[in-house]
Amino acid sequence: MSNTETGTETEAETERQTSDSLITTDVETGSNGRATASERTAVAARDVDVYYGDEQAIDGVSMEIPEKRVVALIGPSGCGKSTFLRCINRMNDMIDVCRVEGDIEFGGKNVYDGDVDPVALRRKIGMVFQEPNPFPKSIRDNVAYGLKIQKFDGDVDARVEESLKSAALWDEVNDKLDSSGLDLSGGQQQRLCIARAIAPDPEVILMDEPTSALDPIAASKIEDLIDDLAEEYTVIIVTHNMQQAARISDRTAVFLTGGQLVEYDDTTTIFEDPEHDRVEDYITGKFG
Amino acid sequence: MATDNTATTAFGEVSRVRGIVFEYLSFGASVFGIFALAVLLIYVTIDAFDLANANPLWLLTYFITLVVPFLGFCLYSARDPAVTRRALVAAGGGLVAIAAVFTAIEAFVGQIPRLNWPLAYLFVVIIPLTGYLTYVGAQGRAGSVGFGLIGRLLGGTAIGLAFTVLFLVFDARLWFLVYTLGVVPAVLAYGYGRIRSVPTAQTAAVPVAIGGLFVAVFLRPVVDTYPTTVFIYLWTLAVPVAVAGGFVVNARGSRTAALAAAGGPLAVATGVGLLGQPLGLGVGGPNALLVVAVAGVPTAVYLHRVADVGEGVTGLGLPVLLVAGALAGALLVESFGLPAPDPWLNGSFVTEAPSRNAREAGLYPAIVGSVIIIAMVAALSFVLGVATSVFLEEYTADSGIVGALTRMVQINIANLAAIPSVVYGLLGLAVFANLIGFGFGTAVTASLTLSLLILPITIISAQEAIRSVPDDLRRGSDAMGATRWQTTKNVVLPEAFPGILTGTILALGRAIGETAPLIMIGAATTVFSAPTSLFSRFSAMPMQIYAWADFPQAEFRYGVVAAGVITLLIILIGMNGTAILLRNRAEGEN
Repeated sequence: MSNTETGTETEAETERQTSDSLITTDVETGSNGRATASERTAVAARDVDVYYGDEQAIDGVSMEIPEKRVVALIGPSGCGKSTFLRCINRMNDMIDVCRVEGDIEFGGKNVYDGDVDPVALRRKIGMVFQEPNPFPKSIRDNVAYGLKIQKFDGDVDARVEESLKSAALWDEVNDKLDSSGLDLSGGQQQRLCIARAIAPDPEVILMDEPTSALDPIAASKIEDLIDDLAEEYTVIIVTHNMQQAARISDRTAVFLTGGQLVEYDDTTTIFEDPEHDRVEDYITGKFG
Repeated sequence: MATDNTATTAFGEVSRVRGIVFEYLSFGASVFGIFALAVLLIYVTIDAFDLANANPLWLLTYFITLVVPFLGFCLYSARDPAVTRRALVAAGGGLVAIAAVFTAIEAFVGQIPRLNWPLAYLFVVIIPLTGYLTYVGAQGRAGSVGFGLIGRLLGGTAIGLAFTVLFLVFDARLWFLVYTLGVVPAVLAYGYGRIRSVPTAQTAAVPVAIGGLFVAVFLRPVVDTYPTTVFIYLWTLAVPVAVAGGFVVNARGSRTAALAAAGGPLAVATGVGLLGQPLGLGVGGPNALLVVAVAGVPTAVYLHRVADVGEGVTGLGLPVLLVAGALAGALLVESFGLPAPDPWLNGSFVTEAPSRNAREAGLYPAIVGSVIIIAMVAALSFVLGVATSVFLEEYTADSGIVGALTRMVQINIANLAAIPSVVYGLLGLAVFANLIGFGFGTAVTASLTLSLLILPITIISAQEAIRSVPDDLRRGSDAMGATRWQTTKNVVLPEAFPGILTGTILALGRAIGETAPLIMIGAATTVFSAPTSLFSRFSAMPMQIYAWADFPQAEFRYGVVAAGVITLLIILIGMNGTAILLRNRAEGEN
């Protein structure tokens, strides 16, 4: 975590391809004590509007997501938080009627620029979905999938082991790497999907309600895991569970109906002293 | 009244009459259909094997030596007591029920023509019962030796037959050159790339193979000294089979055993092939080498597995049982001097050319023709069908002009599936025979025409299979940064493969039985020698059977046609069995 300190010239040089967009913000302690000093921005959105045909799903969202932190996106159903998440790795491109306006900067580049290859972009940004979706292949092949498609030429087995350990799954599966990923339980499958996402060593991991299909015990394992992942990765998580957001995230963004980002601040602030009454109403369960 | 009803029965009643009527009507209709088909097939089988004239004692002998032990084996393999109990109940119930049905028909309808009691029992009771028992046996633990083994026997025989026929029909010397210059270097390159993980070497394998193929075709007329046929067979067939067997055994652990399993049969095969005839053993030459090597290596591999793992010991029982049963039956029949029936479907029927004389008529040229055509149709329609369906499902857009065009293509494909096969025959005649000039009634014209005929069915079923792959998996792969091609190749196709295979199997079943398009493209009804190249005149099994059915002699219409139909069915079932086996294996892997 030593490189969260920015501003020295040597670092600016080593990170030269991203240095233009690095924005330094001062953030106080997050809810779980990870953040201490100034941080770099991993992903920055500016005035993002998303339309499905004529319908506007996201309305002028601007936010900066700090590197190696957990940022939770919460809000009622249909408020556009999942849509926003999918804009970051351009998964919305798959939907014909979807149109995105505004800038999303990642690695010093607007990901919606014409010369950005969405496939190359997705290799830098891992994603975990709501329903565990391991491939009908062996556990080993599941984790090695990203390495295979990127023609990784190092030691695949070592990387598989490392990723499974990072996903806290190694102890449960190390003796059956060749059995099918579908034979695992739901919680294990989701951790397998996380291992699959981190194996190619992305910079950002997007999680779209990763625990909503799991039982509380499996969900709490995933939560612990997310906490550990923030040591190395930037995690952006969409969740419906406000306790979960409060437990695991450093910063929280509250989307409300109409696709507006109403409030984005440290998680403690959002949950203890929100600025907007609507946010307070939502968090205390008066609506949504 | 309504209030009275609700008072007497707490919630009232909801009528299910229509559902129940529907259920039993459908059930009755399916049972009737299957029963009618079974009766037809029984008659055909009886005709083909001339069983109507068989001596009851002869039947009884084989029943005791062959069928009873087989049943016993099936019962033994169905160790599960519940399954066994169900099987016994079904057996007893089936025997009584069938007896009752036959008695009733004989009593009220009239004499059942050309069908006698032992036969009725053999076919209506014993065979379905055997099938059922083998099936339930397959569900149990030990049962895997029953159904699986039969499937493997059938499928393996079909593959072996197809391969041998292709090998014999095509020029062995050309094959030798292709193998030496193309296949071996390509396999070596791929293996090297795999072991040392050099991706370029793996990628190079395909161009190397194609290059070798072209060089071989070019060199075939130029080079004029070739090794003897024995050596060609040894090098191109026996050695790779032995190497493959060795690898299988080696993968299970022991290197010495691998050497023994691969080298032993290979040495015996070489010895028999080279020295058999000079030493006066009565066997020898290239064919002996082929048989010993191709049968010996898998046997050695299997024996090693039995000895090593202890698995499938009971599986060895079945072949032993069948062979011993057949031998014992033959011995008894011989020693008691029982008159054997004279089956129409016998060894010479499948190895001889057609003849004017019913007793000498054979199906061999038509079998070879059909196998060549089906092999080509399978390859062509599978590749084209899968490619088209992948394009339509994964690559085209859903909306806009492209989407509208795609939908038009879709509708047209669906319509093409409904076009009568005669029209395809006309198309084949016009395009492949006339325009391109592949010739009238040649194997290649027939293959292309039949491929076109079944392509719409293949495409539609492959599309259905691809569509049933969950979108979650595609999104998962896309989110990993896979290109569409990588997603299709690594996730969609493996998952859709069993479904695609099912559709292709059904379509091929249709192609193998087609007659009308073959008539249109001018295929011969009868040829007297097997086709020797893709441009030879050929005949197919359905054509030949159709021709025989028109012969004036009753022997042709009742005996030879029945034998032809049974041969066609056996080959069809063998091919389907192979494909189903492949499909199940693919499903098991997933």
